[in-house]
Amino acid sequence: MTSEYSPSDRASRWPILMLLLCGVVWLVVSGILGVIASVQLHTPQFLSGCALLTHGRVVPLAETSFVYGWLANAGLGLALWVLGRLAGEPLRGQSWAIMGALFWNIGVAAALVGVATGDATGFALLGLPRYVQFAMLFSYAGVAVPGILAWSGRLRRVSFASQWYAAAALFLFPWLLSIAHVVLFALPPRGVVQAIAAGWYAQSAWTLWLAPLFLSVAYYVTAKVTGRALPSYEFASLGFWCLIFVGGLTGGRHLGGGPVPAWIASVAVVACALLIFHVLVVVLNLRGVATAAGIAPKFIAFGIAAYALGAAADAATSLLSVAAKTQFTYFDEAQRQLALNGAATAVLLGGIYFAVPRITGKAWLSGRLVRAHLALVVTGVVLLVGSLVVASLVQIPELLNPKVAFAQITRDTRPWLLGVSAAQGILLAGNIALLVNFYATACEILNISKPASFAAPRTAETHAS
Amino acid sequence: MKSNLVFFLGIFSALAVSWAGIVLGSNAELGGLAPFYDDTQSTSYPEWMSGEAARGQLVYRDLGCAACHTQQVRRPGLGSDQARGWGERQSVARDYIYQPAPQLGASRIGPDLMNLGDRKPAPPPAEDLLRLLYTGADGMPPYRFLFEMRRIGAGARPSDKALSLAGPLEAPAGCEIVPTGRALDLVSYLLNSKTSYDYPESVPWAPPKAGGEGGAK
Repeated sequence: MTSEYSPSDRASRWPILMLLLCGVVWLVVSGILGVIASVQLHTPQFLSGCALLTHGRVVPLAETSFVYGWLANAGLGLALWVLGRLAGEPLRGQSWAIMGALFWNIGVAAALVGVATGDATGFALLGLPRYVQFAMLFSYAGVAVPGILAWSGRLRRVSFASQWYAAAALFLFPWLLSIAHVVLFALPPRGVVQAIAAGWYAQSAWTLWLAPLFLSVAYYVTAKVTGRALPSYEFASLGFWCLIFVGGLTGGRHLGGGPVPAWIASVAVVACALLIFHVLVVVLNLRGVATAAGIAPKFIAFGIAAYALGAAADAATSLLSVAAKTQFTYFDEAQRQLALNGAATAVLLGGIYFAVPRITGKAWLSGRLVRAHLALVVTGVVLLVGSLVVASLVQIPELLNPKVAFAQITRDTRPWLLGVSAAQGILLAGNIALLVNFYATACEILNISKPASFAAPRTAETHAS
Repeated sequence: MKSNLVFFLGIFSALAVSWAGIVLGSNAELGGLAPFYDDTQSTSYPEWMSGEAARGQLVYRDLGCAACHTQQVRRPGLGSDQARGWGERQSVARDYIYQPAPQLGASRIGPDLMNLGDRKPAPPPAEDLLRLLYTGADGMPPYRFLFEMRRIGAGARPSDKALSLAGPLEAPAGCEIVPTGRALDLVSYLLNSKTSYDYPESVPWAPPKAGGEGGAK
């Protein structure tokens, strides 16, 4: 293949590489915390003497480092890269992004310390204690500056789906977080309205922030690797606006049957069903990635398949007749892991494997580690989600039967929870492989400063991925 | 999508619509929910939590108890909530209006704790809950960092809150295991969680029986 390494990529590589590297470090940190949390499910005594790592704290710690550490850093880095490339010129305002990335990651670290020492918020997907939220808000805005400049100052008036998704994610997250700050922390409403607002934030963070970030990467890489116009592209804008307009309305998805007005769960049922249209468009547009050659398209194809499956499961479990059984069981956790570890992570990993050789002009040091990572991610996610689903199939009838005690349910689900721990271990091993590979590649760039040495890629196979 | 302005206004209005609909809409409906005054008892419900119990809810949130326990009883017909004795009625929004940080929870690895203080026939004694926190159970981790081991000096009386434990967890001679203030707050909160009062909106809806009202007499 011809090297795509361009002067524009080289000029804007530092903020992007910094974000991606921080993201991969947080991915490994959250993997370790995820292993601890899942071991505690089948062996509750594990680390129970350590107040910092009691199960109720490890769960939000793992989630916060995963979402705000890994997904946010990697998603932002790749969004900047996509917007910069499609703008056709080097990123402007890079120092904003570097300072923003620095403070964002300090904020994530401070949030973890806060949750571990007693400032947990108790809200899903919003484990950021109140005092880091301002820092997170402004540092995100800083990181977004080059992306917004690249979007608004693009040379072509026409824009592409990957730009819409990336620009929407850059705009929407600061609004979401500032609203959540006011509604949940500055002026908390009464009683269950807090739970409704927290549900709205959690679903919006997924549909209006994380999903657009990884969909932007998926659209860009698919167009690149298939080398032709995306099929059914005329529907792409409908799919985009469907997600943006309907996404936030799925906020009551977990609240069915609870002490909230019934219309909130009913709106979520309709919204989840409408999102199927969005997913259909995404799958139609990106179907070429399944047959494209290379490692990155395989990650992305796996991620998009997980996204489609997850949306179907969300729509099904938003119905009260189904939720009556699956609510509060491991099935919820399976859906969460399918979305976060399956869809978002696989697509972003594909984006990293595609982008980093082009940003640095270097092939990955070890092609074997790249292939091993793909195998570990696919095995890990399938085993993780599969074990959780089987555990929930054991758990659901026992939970519905009032004669079965909780201790009995714990004993009966234990074999499958061991499978969950094994899966978390597999995912962690794969992510350590990426960190080693990334670190080694980054060291090489730092040692070689001459632009002349960016010539030929080392192995065509990994570079082409 | 050629105009940046249209794009910007589009995503802004999308977010505004969902926020106004879900968050402001539910706040308009429930934000002003008042306690229910019962004339016959001359009391209003729900009752305020004691300061100790309100502190206990913050301990509950800090330790992430909601990772495994819900605090919401669903209406009859949904799951085994009533059959397990978690409450005779569903939880309603009014139950939570005085809670500083309601923790509805999303996972039932352990039992629901919404109505622990009104379990039938009798709620668990505080002593048992403290012992459970110290020893853990099958599926529940022990929380020994909520307790401290104290030396009983010569002639000093043991604390009246000391746990009575048997077997391998028994305190060594000359020592006692005493719950910290956080453990006492947490247990006080759990035992103060009651949804015993029936509000008009919390009475379970029963389908009309065939041949009932309007039927043949």
